[in-house]
Amino acid sequence: MTAIDPGSRPGEQAGSITDPVTYGAGGFDDHRPPDAALLGDCVHCGFCLPTCPTYVLWGEEMDSPRGRLYLMKEGLEGAPLDGAMVEHWDNCLGCMSCVTACPSGVRYDTLIEQTRAQVERVHDRPAKDRALRALIFALFPHPRLLKTLRGPLRALQRTGLDRRLRKTGLLDRLAPHLAAMERLTPPLAPTERLPERIPAVGERRTTVGLITGCVQGAFFPEVNAATARVLAAEGCDVVVPPHQSCCGALSVHNGREEEAQRYARRVIDTFERAGVERVVINAAGCGSTLKDYARLLSDDPVYAERAVRFQERVLDIAELLDDLGPRAQRHPLPLTVAYHDACHLAHAQGVREQPRRLLAGIPGLELREIADPELCCGSAGIYNILHPEAAGELGERKAATIVDTGAEVLVTANPGCLLQVTSAIAARGHSMGMAHLVEVLDASIHGLAPDRLRSARSTTPA
Amino acid sequence: MAGAVVDGVTAGSVERPRTTEEVADVVRKAAAAGLTVVPRGAGTKLTWGLPPTSADVLLDLSGMDRVVEHEAGDLIATAQAGTPLARLQEQVGTAGQRLLVDETVPGATVGGTLATNASGPCRLVAGTMRDLLIGVTFVRADGVVAKAGGKVVKNVAGYDVGKLLVGSFGTLAVVTEATFRLHPVPALRRWLTVPVGSPQEAQELAQAVIHAQVVPAAVEVSLGRDSSLTVLLEGRPDGVEGRADVVRRLLGDATAESASPPSGWGAYPWDPTSTGGDRAVALKLTFRLSGLADVLAAAEGLEVSGSAGAGVVYAALPAGDPVEISATVERLRGVCAHHHGSLVVLDAPAAVKQAVDVWGPVPALGLMQRVKDEFDPDHRLAPGRFVGGI
Amino acid sequence: MTPLEHVTARARELLPAEAVITDRARLRTYECDGLAHYRVTPGLVVIPEDVHQLAAIVRACSELGVPYVARGSGTGLSGGALPVAEGVLIVTSRQRAIRAVRREDQRAVVEPGVINLDVTRAATPYGYYYAPDPSSQQVCSIGGNVAENSGGAHCLKYGFTTNHVIGVEMVTPDGEVVRLGGDAPDTPGYDLLGAVVGSEGTLGIVTEVTVRLTRLPEHVVTVLAGFDSTDRAGAAVSAIIGAGVVPAAIEMMDALAIEAAEAAVQCHYPAGAGAVLVVELDGPSSDCEAEYADVVRLCQDNGAFEVRTATDAAERALIWKGRKSAFAAVGRISPDYIVQDGVIPRTALPEVLARIAELSRESGVRVANVFHAGDGNLHPLVLFDDAVEGAGEAAEEVSRAILDLCIEHGGSITGEHGVGHDKAPYMARMFGEDDLDTMQLVRCAFDPDHVSNPGKVFPTPRLCGEAPGRRKGVHPLQEAGLAEVF
Repeated sequence: MTAIDPGSRPGEQAGSITDPVTYGAGGFDDHRPPDAALLGDCVHCGFCLPTCPTYVLWGEEMDSPRGRLYLMKEGLEGAPLDGAMVEHWDNCLGCMSCVTACPSGVRYDTLIEQTRAQVERVHDRPAKDRALRALIFALFPHPRLLKTLRGPLRALQRTGLDRRLRKTGLLDRLAPHLAAMERLTPPLAPTERLPERIPAVGERRTTVGLITGCVQGAFFPEVNAATARVLAAEGCDVVVPPHQSCCGALSVHNGREEEAQRYARRVIDTFERAGVERVVINAAGCGSTLKDYARLLSDDPVYAERAVRFQERVLDIAELLDDLGPRAQRHPLPLTVAYHDACHLAHAQGVREQPRRLLAGIPGLELREIADPELCCGSAGIYNILHPEAAGELGERKAATIVDTGAEVLVTANPGCLLQVTSAIAARGHSMGMAHLVEVLDASIHGLAPDRLRSARSTTPA
Repeated sequence: MAGAVVDGVTAGSVERPRTTEEVADVVRKAAAAGLTVVPRGAGTKLTWGLPPTSADVLLDLSGMDRVVEHEAGDLIATAQAGTPLARLQEQVGTAGQRLLVDETVPGATVGGTLATNASGPCRLVAGTMRDLLIGVTFVRADGVVAKAGGKVVKNVAGYDVGKLLVGSFGTLAVVTEATFRLHPVPALRRWLTVPVGSPQEAQELAQAVIHAQVVPAAVEVSLGRDSSLTVLLEGRPDGVEGRADVVRRLLGDATAESASPPSGWGAYPWDPTSTGGDRAVALKLTFRLSGLADVLAAAEGLEVSGSAGAGVVYAALPAGDPVEISATVERLRGVCAHHHGSLVVLDAPAAVKQAVDVWGPVPALGLMQRVKDEFDPDHRLAPGRFVGGI
Repeated sequence: MTPLEHVTARARELLPAEAVITDRARLRTYECDGLAHYRVTPGLVVIPEDVHQLAAIVRACSELGVPYVARGSGTGLSGGALPVAEGVLIVTSRQRAIRAVRREDQRAVVEPGVINLDVTRAATPYGYYYAPDPSSQQVCSIGGNVAENSGGAHCLKYGFTTNHVIGVEMVTPDGEVVRLGGDAPDTPGYDLLGAVVGSEGTLGIVTEVTVRLTRLPEHVVTVLAGFDSTDRAGAAVSAIIGAGVVPAAIEMMDALAIEAAEAAVQCHYPAGAGAVLVVELDGPSSDCEAEYADVVRLCQDNGAFEVRTATDAAERALIWKGRKSAFAAVGRISPDYIVQDGVIPRTALPEVLARIAELSRESGVRVANVFHAGDGNLHPLVLFDDAVEGAGEAAEEVSRAILDLCIEHGGSITGEHGVGHDKAPYMARMFGEDDLDTMQLVRCAFDPDHVSNPGKVFPTPRLCGEAPGRRKGVHPLQEAGLAEVF
């Protein structure tokens, strides 16, 4: 039943009590409003509620996927996009847990992106909010800027030089995030740029292009290095195009559609030139966006077709390695590991089993499951900057369930999660190793000592 | 049946209707005349609760003794209220089925068992009448015939008025027909009994059994002349054998096994046929399962038996000085309350009933009185027998 | 100020700001529950955090004569939590603490907003679970389960909510906090709890629930059997029950329902089946194994052309996936559909299914059948395309006719979804005037002014105290102009 379409079901009672919907001007504009047909797939069953981090936190319908869809419906009916409505869409972490849970196949991911693009265009945000967002988007999608600024920003915060900037509260929000990145960056990590081409070890099985990512590249360059080593060991020629642009994920998730499209075109250009069979990504948030380029560019006469072809070649590193099957020998790694599902990997891309299989294939490694795996850790791109309180609570919950596993090392596949969970675990006064999946595989394949992982990025209470 | 008596109260007249309509007729006439009505089945538990303040009409339902319907394929049966439980069991038994409730007092009827919510060992596996009743026809205080529930096990249409009537001691309406869900008669029943030396041991064994994977149909405890714990297993022969092995291990070497119920199985620890002034004081004690040992210890010296698995035991207090009995009742009640349960004096000689608080504290009594006022605004049905003077 | 404005002002004093919702955009997200075609925007939504806040709101409503409706997760399928326009919607979604899990007593104590499955999750480490398992158990709340007396696939063997809830704390319609039932069995007095469970929020709002926990079964076997017709599958069900086997669940799906499930979740049920049965057995291993052999034989004897068995959790999940997704899955084969919920005596199954097929043929309206075959609880899914003129009306008609079939065969108009707003008009078909009047005596005892979820369950409200000689003063409903004394 297309139950939330007004008057979808006939019958004598239905008409009499249905609230007649009357709105003046307002609502969405005509450019790609939330798709009414997709919205109609929602039967209002509520199965998404317990999987939604904000519903879990606040228990409010408006802050559940079902409620947000309902607000979209209101917008389609002409309800003005006022602060109240926008607040609840903004509160969405975009973790897409609801997409996994939905039995009716509602494309919440598409709908919230369409909505966010509308909000950015139609809704007039308060000045403070605008400034914060502008600062974030001036910073995050630019790897080099990000790297350069992390020190000075902290210094700025310490000295409190710019009182006016300080008063906005922007730095207080940004700084912990940057501070966490700083803490997590191992001082001795190799920072040299990867070569443009890394040959396969042994017989070549395929040629892959590696997307280096913004945050990953700036703060976790060793993850990219490990990715390249593992790929090569498994028989891949690895191509690392220089001067990669941001993939546009942050822009997409925050309704900055045109900006996202610009990024997407550049990424497509870059990897078409690279002449690779597959494109591999080791950051979950980027992966889900890369795999949705076809929709993002569907109206673009020049790029629509190319986006489809590009998208078909994109794989998460776990998918690719699982698909190829292990060839390099795994050395024993006596570690207990908890695997954290990054939302954009598990929910947005459906990649759950592959990383677990890869970990299980390492001799001596014990894999432990985290309770409530579907629940987001609160990182969600830049969510923890925009909504520090909610993100903090979610981080605490996640940290508690992770610590409960008693594992020595936390493994995940997304830099955002790693940052978020690390600070939450540190705040509990707990010490734990943190690693990306490929780092664990790298250690096993190359016979590195497990202690490296146990201590790597162990954080100390701030 | 001239000179019929209800717990010491002489009835003005006795009516013995045979159909629901006839019951309605009697009740309607009584309503018109402002007469009180006390329903009765076989009269086996007529002295339970408090004596009625008045019994102008004794409504004897023993003439309504037919099993109206037995749909074996649907595992349901409907019987008139005066039908002896034994007859109902016999009839459904021909199809290999049973109403999963114990006949705790010989001769008890369907209606009387409903009105008192009397239960025995099998309550552990199937609950009480409240859990087995799926439909009910009754006559209200104003003589109106109504029904609730239906003939299907799964049904959430409207309020479950049947549950209100179960255990209401005939104070809300007169039940004339009841429909129950049935269960298959198991291929094998096996009783495993072990002597117990102390309340603590009884609790430990009971806990061991209920947490094990043996799905007991009953876990009964008795303390007094014969102190033991008995586990009833039911089911398919191969299944029961396997589970009996587990239970034997849990209960220990002294376990005795039997294919027939041990003597006194499901009976109260008092003589239900004794109705005189020297009859024992019959107590029902309930508690959280973890309170079993405390309750048994508090009742040390009395004859006690009941369901260790469900948290309900019965105790018999010899007739005696009402003041002393009252003190004992309050002491035991305190222990039950400590374990979140209650104590009800089911039956006692008149002098004792006057001295003790028979029903004890009743939560939400105000709401119950409002329910009574709605169903029987003039308080003419079994007046005074129930809690709070209802 | 209107009475509702008074209540709103009171709510603002009592509750944190974010727990009082008054703006239209937010209010509208609460205008329907799981049955989305009935919609009423509530006048006010409050989300109390504890019994004190909740009772204070109810007291305010009671004093000012403002109707209120309770809502848990909002997943009901009969419009039971449909708001009242000038009333308050009291949401229990923030009262979600599991207060105690006590293995030694086989009990758990939870707040009403706790999700059904979370009770089981909390009890599992102790070897226990909460038996009632409505299909929405991952989202529906215990408070809602109490209101609806929820069932589920496994209630065939283990019973319904009413058999597992043994005590509640409740706020009565006049704002009093009472305890009904308790931790121990057979609380003295009337079994008010028995009346409250399944009363669909018309007798009050529960604020704490004590439930019985059930031992996790040692062994579970799930059998999937394919038949060429529902008749044969039905005969197998009869044979299984007749053999004295009490499975934990017996579920049936017909060809159309299978088609939908395949489209949605690729459950790979036996190809070409006209019906499948899902039979689940649980209990001690030795019993399960013997029963399993019987069930397989009885299915084969009755024409099952394929029988599959699942013994581990993953295989079981695969078998159940098709069944559990069936409702939502039907959306993949039809743009619109109505989920019906009716009960028939199980032995009437072949006849009723034949009649439903006939209805479908005559009207041209497709009907997919998914049901709890063990207890005769039918869930026909009546398919239509709202874009086709008159299709909706035709579907409604078929849906109604199916309920009439249930009543005709001595069944019920609802087995687990409740009467709510949706089926109140049907109550008069299943029950006589006197039956309904008697039920409403209970309502009058709890809520004489009809402030708690008014308009649900009963087709016409009874004016409380209308019996001769009992009226004291002017009835509030009458005073408010909402009712007249005839």
